[in-house]
Amino acid sequence: MTAPILEAAGVTMVFGGLTALKDVSFTLRDGEIIGLIGPNGAGKTTLFNCLTGLYAPSRGAVALRGTRLACDPARVTAAGVARTFQNIRLFPGMTATENVLVGRHVRMTQGPLSSLLHGPRFRRSEAEAAERAEKLLAFVGLTRFADELARNLPYGDQRRLEIARALATEPSVLLLDEPTAGMNAQETQSTRQLILAIRDLGVSVVVIEHDTKFIFTLCDRVLVLVQGELLVAGTPDEVRGDPRVVEAYLGAPPEEIEAQIHRSEV
Amino acid sequence: MTTVQSPVPASAAPVSGRARGAGARGAAWLRVAGGLLAVLGALLPWATFVLNEGPYPEKATLQFFVAPLGLTGFRLHLALLGLAAILVSVRAVRGRARIVRALGWGIVATSLVNGLYITVEGGGLGAITASGGSAAFGAVVALIGGAFAAAGAVGGGIEPLPVREWRMPWWAEWLLLLVLFGLLLLVVSAVLTSGGQGGVVNPYAGAVFLSFLAAAGGAFAALHASGLLTWLAAVAERHRVFSIVVLLVMALLLPLTGAGTEYWMTVAANIGVYAATAIGLNIVVGLAGLLDLGYVAFLGIGAFVAANLSGAAASEIGIRLPFPLVMIISAVVAGLFGAVVGSPTLRVRGDYLAIVTLAFGEIFVRSAQNNIGGLTGGANAIPNIPQVSAFGTAFNESIAIGAVTLPAGVLYYVLIVLLVAVVMLVFGNLKNSRLGRAWIAIREDEDAARAMGIRTGPIKILAFLIGATLAGLAGAFFAHKTAVVAYDSFRFLESVTLLAAVILGGMGTIPGAVFGASILFVLPEKLREFADYRLLLFGLALVVIMRFRPQGIIPDRHRRTELAPVTAQDPPPAKGAEA
Amino acid sequence: MLPTLLSQVANGLVLGSLIGLIALGYTMVYGIIQLINFAHGEIFMVGAYGGLAALTYLLPAAIANQWYLALPIALVAGAVIAALVAVAAERFAYRPLRDAPRLAPLITALGVSVALQEAVRVFYPDATAALPFPSIFIEGTLEIPVPGGTVPIKYAGILLALVSLALAAGLQVFVDRSRTGRAMRATAQDRDIARLMGIDPDRVIVLTFLIGGALAGVGGVLYGGYLNNINIDMGFQNGIFAFTAAVLGGIGSIRGAVVGGLAIGLVKSLGGQYLPGGTAYDYVWIFVVLIVVLVFRPQGFFGETERVRA
Repeated sequence: MTAPILEAAGVTMVFGGLTALKDVSFTLRDGEIIGLIGPNGAGKTTLFNCLTGLYAPSRGAVALRGTRLACDPARVTAAGVARTFQNIRLFPGMTATENVLVGRHVRMTQGPLSSLLHGPRFRRSEAEAAERAEKLLAFVGLTRFADELARNLPYGDQRRLEIARALATEPSVLLLDEPTAGMNAQETQSTRQLILAIRDLGVSVVVIEHDTKFIFTLCDRVLVLVQGELLVAGTPDEVRGDPRVVEAYLGAPPEEIEAQIHRSEV
Repeated sequence: MTTVQSPVPASAAPVSGRARGAGARGAAWLRVAGGLLAVLGALLPWATFVLNEGPYPEKATLQFFVAPLGLTGFRLHLALLGLAAILVSVRAVRGRARIVRALGWGIVATSLVNGLYITVEGGGLGAITASGGSAAFGAVVALIGGAFAAAGAVGGGIEPLPVREWRMPWWAEWLLLLVLFGLLLLVVSAVLTSGGQGGVVNPYAGAVFLSFLAAAGGAFAALHASGLLTWLAAVAERHRVFSIVVLLVMALLLPLTGAGTEYWMTVAANIGVYAATAIGLNIVVGLAGLLDLGYVAFLGIGAFVAANLSGAAASEIGIRLPFPLVMIISAVVAGLFGAVVGSPTLRVRGDYLAIVTLAFGEIFVRSAQNNIGGLTGGANAIPNIPQVSAFGTAFNESIAIGAVTLPAGVLYYVLIVLLVAVVMLVFGNLKNSRLGRAWIAIREDEDAARAMGIRTGPIKILAFLIGATLAGLAGAFFAHKTAVVAYDSFRFLESVTLLAAVILGGMGTIPGAVFGASILFVLPEKLREFADYRLLLFGLALVVIMRFRPQGIIPDRHRRTELAPVTAQDPPPAKGAEA
Repeated sequence: MLPTLLSQVANGLVLGSLIGLIALGYTMVYGIIQLINFAHGEIFMVGAYGGLAALTYLLPAAIANQWYLALPIALVAGAVIAALVAVAAERFAYRPLRDAPRLAPLITALGVSVALQEAVRVFYPDATAALPFPSIFIEGTLEIPVPGGTVPIKYAGILLALVSLALAAGLQVFVDRSRTGRAMRATAQDRDIARLMGIDPDRVIVLTFLIGGALAGVGGVLYGGYLNNINIDMGFQNGIFAFTAAVLGGIGSIRGAVVGGLAIGLVKSLGGQYLPGGTAYDYVWIFVVLIVVLVFRPQGFFGETERVRA
């Protein structure tokens, strides 16, 4: 068993009087894919926001390879945790390539002066970044859209571009917030392949999804979050068979689950 | 019932198809007729009598047949536009409808300007139709011609902008660019000198200039419609360095053309100051998306610093430093103030930030007005700032090289051209770098930018700092060129004008800022007779541009600046992620 | 000492209630469509010229001399003209940009502001210089005896303050109690939901501009009567002050606008009297207050905090 790469210890998040997360602890191991499921409003995205430094947890801490993460998205990303957003947040007026290049920001070393002078070192770093961006676009299958503005991309491809942009930061942990939302069966399938390929690159992945079938067939372990608390954690088989999960989450009438899959939480 | 109804739409379709065919033919005829009418209008007399201030422009009748080459001024322009419309209409040219539409609007605008002017000056419609036994109708005929051409173009359906991908050997493309930029120089010179310098010299200067602008605008729009401009831009982009060098040389050659007078050197220097400042502002607004409504303060700070270090008698600090050093100090001081003004961006966003910058700008003006610390001269300003000089030549003197005498102020002109070139280089290099991408990312979505590892706070402050530094450079030049620095050159309206220059030209682009600054400072020079309406028109123009062309005249490739219309998936909603 | 202090307080409160009255227009418009209606200060100025025009050109001298006739007529004329201009600006300049990114309407508002100011300068007779505003209102000054001297307050100033506060109170009642007021609050919360509830947001927005414009117009006429002269710059300055007041009080809040206005008025009069630099720097203090408020408490006295969402 490998050492935990990401560790959340007792993460609690309180908004005013509302406890959105209560004492959530889990570990993510090297090369693992974890699924995070739970009903609407269970706090899944809030947990992501705490993990990436967008929110400062009221209590508890998040550590990457044993080092505590700061509450600053920029520094968290630099440390090696990248994410995508539930409601796609690309830079709509930049091309696909430029979006990925922005992802390279933390891994490039040009200072303001070298940005100004465009010396040989600058050109080398630009060329290297461009090459990486090209490879990443090829990796997610968006080469043909390299020079297209992000906002003109089809919906499913925007999600892929967001993943490529996140990968450009060279993360060791990638957090995907509903990567298949709004996709058809075929697109969902190719997203699954993409996530597996990302894992094969040596990146550990946490996926939020409402599509439980997708989660159970993709992930090594599954966390179930209900009303801000971690209800169950285990292998897909364990979770699927757990009566508490069935009661708390899957026990709802089918049409409600259906609705949950299409609705989204705040 | 259904069986009875179904044939109706079925038969209607071919009818409307036939109608379209006939319509297209009609539209073709309309286009040719429009061109012919425009040419005819150019040959007809335009005024029924000689205006009070002399013939406008010539009260000639059918002079074409007397002297075929004697057709001059706006009538020549009209004839050329009309001939072009006819030619394009009868030949299969790609983008034909767009071209003819542009030509048509050019004809309409040109004839409107002249017709209206004669009408207003001549006291009514009789001045351009028939009165007192003589008939004119030139304006009316040309106007109808333009309208016909435009209507015919639109009626035939507008096709998408044609894309041309011709390639030539590199030397041919270099030659082409050389000729092109040479022509550009001549056009710029012609625009500046058209109608003379206004006022006493030529009572019709404003109208002649506007008419020229309308005709040139129509011609440029037609070129753009043919896809040629886009192609030329691509050629220039392929030879970027060569283009920049040639453009720079052409800019330096302007004093040798008809525009090489002391007057135009001064106007050009002023344009240069505001263009450089506008490019600095463009970093803040165009790239980083932070609206600054007090930006002219940095120009002012640069100018006051330079004034105080110039050895001017009225300045508080009585030392005189060499000009290059003064420029650097002015830029640094302005940059520091930029960082201060930019620091609220750490906490304030959007239009609240705009108001904070406005407040800083007002504080600057009030402080300068009250001669804060004795540094600004208050209402007395700081006068008598010595001229820049090098090798014993003051920069405001005219110089003679061999047989060629260059106008006074030419050295300032050269200096400002170089300064603007440097500022452009700074802007261009930064835009295409890690820093520039970070700015644009912040403009597009600040939260996402942070999630990508961009430390938005320092980078936004850096935008203010660099922009203000560039304005400070321009300010040092400004102080020496105008020799007087007064607080009232840096009021809110100037900030709005700078902002308008950036927006009018196109946010986030270099040519945009220069073009915008040129328009906003050349037009008032040219249209002195409208001076009273200048700001009124300026305010209305801002409203109209925001309404119809928020991306400006030369839009950025990144079309969504803070101002371009939003499309479907744009700002992420707070809730709901359904596709 | 005491008379000086108290008369500066009185000056501050008079100016402050006017600023609060103008601030109502800013705060209502911002509350509903999140637009800093930069031109609102000019609407105030247009109202003053509208009132002056009615007194100068519309009324026969016999009526213009009777203050109980001239005053209401001037107020109505100023309010109507200002409201019409405000509604026209909304209809032709702002409405087409309703869904544009936020900087576009702000720049449009700048354009409207410049155009209005210039339109008055160019087209109103002799408006290039300050114009005398007739003393149609109760003339004279109330002298309040205090230890060490008297505190003078112009009757016109008292009128200005009372009318301003009464209008603000009336507006608060209107927004709280009336059906239309409820529609305005609903539209401010969520325009789309309001539409689903059968409210026509366009009507509400027009009404907002109408009310804000009319209040500013009344303010313009009263201000003219108070200072006895008006100029085309009065809109820009007081507009900025009013915006500051609206933010200070918490944008969207009516009582916030009034409290903010009074605070700004006091800062100006007391700052001009007691802070270094004197009256030459009283404007500067207001802008300093503006910056400090925007940076450290952008929600103002009565506003709500905003939370960043991901």
